[in-house]
Amino acid sequence: MTVLYDAPGPRTRRRIMIWSVVSGLVLAGVLGLGVWQFVAHGQLAAARWAPFTQWPIWEYLLVGLLGTLEAAAYVAVLSAVAGVFLALGRLSRVRPVRWLATGYIEIARTLPVLLMIYVTLFALPGVGVNLPLLWKLVLPLTVANAAAFAEIFRAGILSLPSGQSEAALSLGLTGAQTMRFVVLPQAVRHVTPSLVSQLVSLVKDTSLGYVVAFTELLYRAQVLSAYNHLLVQTFLVVTFIYLVCNGSLSVMAHRLRRREKQGG
Amino acid sequence: MQALLDNLAPLLQGLLTTLWMAALSAVGALVLGVVVTAMRVSPIPVLRGVAFAYVQLFLNVPLLALLVLFVFALPDAGLLMPLPATAVVVLVIYEAAYVAEAVRSGVNTVALGQAEAARALGLTFRQTLGSVILPQALRAVVQPVGNVLIALVMNTSLFAAVGIVELAAAANKTNLVHAQPIPIFVGAGLTYMALALLIGLGAGWLERRVAIVR
Amino acid sequence: MNRRMMFAVSGVLAMALAGCGSGGESAVPPAGGATSSPDLLKDAPVAEAAAILPGSTMERIKKRGKLIVAEALDAPLLSQQNPTNPDEVTGFDADLAKLLAVYILGKPEVEIVPPATETREALLANGTVDVVFNTYTITPERAEQVDFAGPYFSSGLAVAVKAGNSDIKGIDDLAGKTVIVGANTPAVTEVPKRQPTANVISFGTDPQAVTALLQGRGDAYVQDLTLLASDAKANSQLTVVGNPFTTEPYGIGLKHGDADFKKFVNDWLKKIQDDGKWALAWKNSLGTVVDSDPPAPPAIGSVPGS
Repeated sequence: MTVLYDAPGPRTRRRIMIWSVVSGLVLAGVLGLGVWQFVAHGQLAAARWAPFTQWPIWEYLLVGLLGTLEAAAYVAVLSAVAGVFLALGRLSRVRPVRWLATGYIEIARTLPVLLMIYVTLFALPGVGVNLPLLWKLVLPLTVANAAAFAEIFRAGILSLPSGQSEAALSLGLTGAQTMRFVVLPQAVRHVTPSLVSQLVSLVKDTSLGYVVAFTELLYRAQVLSAYNHLLVQTFLVVTFIYLVCNGSLSVMAHRLRRREKQGG
Repeated sequence: MQALLDNLAPLLQGLLTTLWMAALSAVGALVLGVVVTAMRVSPIPVLRGVAFAYVQLFLNVPLLALLVLFVFALPDAGLLMPLPATAVVVLVIYEAAYVAEAVRSGVNTVALGQAEAARALGLTFRQTLGSVILPQALRAVVQPVGNVLIALVMNTSLFAAVGIVELAAAANKTNLVHAQPIPIFVGAGLTYMALALLIGLGAGWLERRVAIVR
Repeated sequence: MNRRMMFAVSGVLAMALAGCGSGGESAVPPAGGATSSPDLLKDAPVAEAAAILPGSTMERIKKRGKLIVAEALDAPLLSQQNPTNPDEVTGFDADLAKLLAVYILGKPEVEIVPPATETREALLANGTVDVVFNTYTITPERAEQVDFAGPYFSSGLAVAVKAGNSDIKGIDDLAGKTVIVGANTPAVTEVPKRQPTANVISFGTDPQAVTALLQGRGDAYVQDLTLLASDAKANSQLTVVGNPFTTEPYGIGLKHGDADFKKFVNDWLKKIQDDGKWALAWKNSLGTVVDSDPPAPPAIGSVPGS
């Protein structure tokens, strides 16, 4: 967004340099202080980190990660598709469709996911619907995330200048074709950051899998820290794993977006 | 049902805690989120980098892991704060990343011509951002930010894991004695739902009021 | 920019790992602490065919070929999963569950479903699990929702403090102090009962509560004696003071109204108490942190609700 400021002249460049140095020093100072204190409390002692150099521990955590990713993949695909339809439904001119879609979105968005998991866990078996374990987690998460995706898509569609759809319609495209070829692709591109956010948040929501006893990463971290009595180290390692995993998702999304922009 | 009615006092107390913690965190997250977005588009490379790293870090890590680290690792790094303060700080920092992402989406939707016109008029960076770009960006992202605030309210239920008695913890405590999970947790769930509904309706009303007619 | 950031993060972590400070802290505590000896399951009692009544829960379990148990995976000495070998779950509760499985099926085929504390009653009610072995304290309120076989162990809540704290010698010294308890444990209700002026903070897991105590967020930690003993053994900065001030009878959770199964399980419990398997299970798990002989098991049915 260099459109927001002029190309810097010599005085501005000097000011930018000064501010860069100052903020850099402040940052380094704060981090350095924190790390030094950490060392003083022995949290960086080699013995405390030694268990994490053993492969079985990593294998244990990575199997948990696989569980997390598997559930997240199902939820992402299903709720994104449902979200598009819900968004279109909410923008529809047919009133009953609009009401149904709006009603679903407002209710699903406001129900706590934990409650929905409880319903799948307890209420459904009472009426004879006993799903396999993976689906006990995926179903409630999909119901919740579909509403979230729907809202994101709707914001994207509405943020598009109306000239786009007007032009498409005047060219003779039907409403459905306008949506499919003109509006949706641009809308999705506009809200990609929000979509990636939602995707990542979805991956993290899978940690609610502990309620249905689903093998995922955060629960395994808890079991591990109970086993080795190393709370801080275990959670730092797991934070790192989440960072790498979700960070890669974001990177991939950014790359896709850049390629789309360049491809036109 | 009886268990729910008999224990209304501690449950309402928990609800009160949830409300003020959520309100405080929401305000903090909104302010910090907009500041981070401003850093992200600023001309100073260090600030841009810090904002980027910040958002990436807190967007990609689950809140529970962050809570555990802040509450239990930070004291060893020299900072021991009272529990409610720690929890609010963690939630503010965490949700601010989401707010920053949403606002950045909004900034991207503002037509390029706006920024160009502002620069042509001689407005400085601060003026462009403050008077032209951000007002339009914020108006475009009322719904996504509303979503973030709803998630924030739901996330306060995680505070139970680190010792703060808010609504979910109060419900758990009541259930421990009475072993009636269905009425107690449905009651708590409906309360969260009511809160989220309020926020959703508020966001919808706000969106209609500030919508930019193009 | 993303790649650069990830290198930066890895760099910081590598630096952190390399910067080994001595700090003079205690060595890494030994992990685990309980082993399932093969002697435990050898010659364990198996029910006679006549005991497996037709149409009963036992028959259903036998047909299914495995016993589904609600037990934790993160409770050291009681039921702890070994991360280096995830199929291995050891501890007192875990071993008793295996013995029950041998009694019904002839082999220790156990499927573990870790419950969240608020879901135990519902898991029994809708048949997702057959039994609950989860330091499940027998209370009259719970007995209205589920049936309890046993009690199979009697423990109690005790007080732990940071080593060197000589002000607090037991529950009576906790008036007006900040007391840490575990969420969803009996301590949540017991501490206010005994010390209404104490400020109670609860944490989700035992490692968190111990860390909080050692970092000074509370003056004392009230938890089940067996867990405290295990923590004290693993961490020299923690000491247990005083004697247990409550009795917590653990029961085996069963579906409400299943009288046949309850009698069946109680018969099994009596058998393993008589032939020494109960004592051996205790010695292998809780006995590793307490220097005494196995205690006498509580009388079956001795507690209201069981």
